[in-house]
Amino acid sequence: MKQRLLFLLPVLALLSFSIYSSNTIDYPDYFPNPYYNFGNNVLDTTKIELGRILFYDPILSKDSSISCASCHSPYNAFAHTDHDLSHGIRDQIGTRNAPALFNLAWQKEFMWDGAINHLDVQALAPISHPKEMGEEISSVVRKLNDSKEYRRLFYLAYRDSMVTGEHLLKALSQFQLTLISAQSKYDEVKQGRSSFSNQEKNGYQLFQKHCNSCHREPLFSSYEFSNNGLPVDTNLLDFGKWQVSKQSQDSLLFKIPSLRNLSYSLPYMHDGRFRRLTEVINHYTNGITKHPTLAKELQSPIVLNSNEKNDLIAFLLTLNDKKFVFEPKHQFPKNKIP
Amino acid sequence: MRLTAQQKRTIQFIPIFNGAPLKLDTEYYTAKDTILIETLKFYLSEIQFCKDNVVLDRLEKKYHLLDLMHPTSLILKHKSKNDFSSIRFKIGVDSTTNVSGAFGEDLDPTNGMYWTWQSGFINFKLEGRSRQSPARQHRFQLHIGGYKAPFNTLQEVELKTSKKKIILSIDIENLLTDVGLTERYEVMSPSENAVSIARYIAHNIKLKQR
Repeated sequence: MKQRLLFLLPVLALLSFSIYSSNTIDYPDYFPNPYYNFGNNVLDTTKIELGRILFYDPILSKDSSISCASCHSPYNAFAHTDHDLSHGIRDQIGTRNAPALFNLAWQKEFMWDGAINHLDVQALAPISHPKEMGEEISSVVRKLNDSKEYRRLFYLAYRDSMVTGEHLLKALSQFQLTLISAQSKYDEVKQGRSSFSNQEKNGYQLFQKHCNSCHREPLFSSYEFSNNGLPVDTNLLDFGKWQVSKQSQDSLLFKIPSLRNLSYSLPYMHDGRFRRLTEVINHYTNGITKHPTLAKELQSPIVLNSNEKNDLIAFLLTLNDKKFVFEPKHQFPKNKIP
Repeated sequence: MRLTAQQKRTIQFIPIFNGAPLKLDTEYYTAKDTILIETLKFYLSEIQFCKDNVVLDRLEKKYHLLDLMHPTSLILKHKSKNDFSSIRFKIGVDSTTNVSGAFGEDLDPTNGMYWTWQSGFINFKLEGRSRQSPARQHRFQLHIGGYKAPFNTLQEVELKTSKKKIILSIDIENLLTDVGLTERYEVMSPSENAVSIARYIAHNIKLKQR
């Protein structure tokens, strides 16, 4: 009997590391508890698959040219490579860099300025924005109801073939909640399955000293909002969270992004102004602009010599999660878009 | 076994203009203005019946989207065995619901009562044309919402009545006079203007005496 159980152990271990089981997401034990309330949108493989199909279907846009994946590509950790500012229907350019999508269940507010207060209503913003998908949620629902195949898929997922705004949005959330990045080298080291090189180890110490208060482990963001000392782009005149709250203390506060998957999700910052990690680090050592709302952590300059900068970057590269980026379950559902 | 009679109650909302029920897409001529209303929809929520400041019972359904385009949405029905001395309700959607994601039925975002660029319900929507509005085609758009301090627009109203058939009126003509369309003709985000208009909305809701 004992032998039989031992034989089962590797199987159990494999099962426990599947990205999601039928109604819950799986994540490492050193992750905090998710913020998302799964009780109100219980995960289910049919709903996740429906959300995945919707995520890749340009039917969500006015002229059927843009899908969520147009600006959130799986190979870029669901960010938009090559584009500092993303473009929507009719090649219109927006004002911000499309953020990478992963570990969304741990995030309370969305968008660089926190304008969206819940994952389930997030998709309304790009669907309706005239420079993104330029569509109305009511016409998306109408188009989906006109599709026999979508009515079938919604029936399979919700036992109701009538598409509603609520079901559409919650299905999109379901797929996005399964986008969990927790298989980087950093994670392997955490789980005792790998070890850092000396350079990475040194970089990790520098990270903990200079970066961890905002880009907090193990998600590599506190997902708070902060002014990181970037000078205002005089063309965009983007004041971040202030644009939502109209409160002066929120001027130039932007959402702190995770440092996971940096090699896939360039360019960096809310307006994609930096293309290289060295530019980002040089901003923090030499480029901070003083402003009344500047983060307290950045009041005195961060000092790093060139070796230290290299070490820090070596550590940051251990946060790349190749398995996440190439996970087949996250990719285009072949032959499945109705 | 004791039987207690259940009383049927109705709550009807009648928007008023110039002393009579408001008609959509109809020009009204006042001393200073020509006004036409194209859209009037709002959330009536958490309806409760009270006596001596104690809530005796409430409508089971929490949120009702009232839309003048669909007159049946303006009449709500309820059954109860309790006597009461006042009715309490809110105009709008509370902050907890505002931060809890997507909902169906009356709260479904396809109803046009949810902002897309910034999360939050529109509690009260009034659109039309007025000669006073300096906007293109003299249009005005009042989308009143906002759930966070200092721009919380949810309004609570309590009115004394013990009638089984409750008729509530909202005087749109007075409301627009309070708003002042020459200055405030496009209010479409949480703001000080939205908060002050939300208060005017609550003040203009009265029991219709027959």
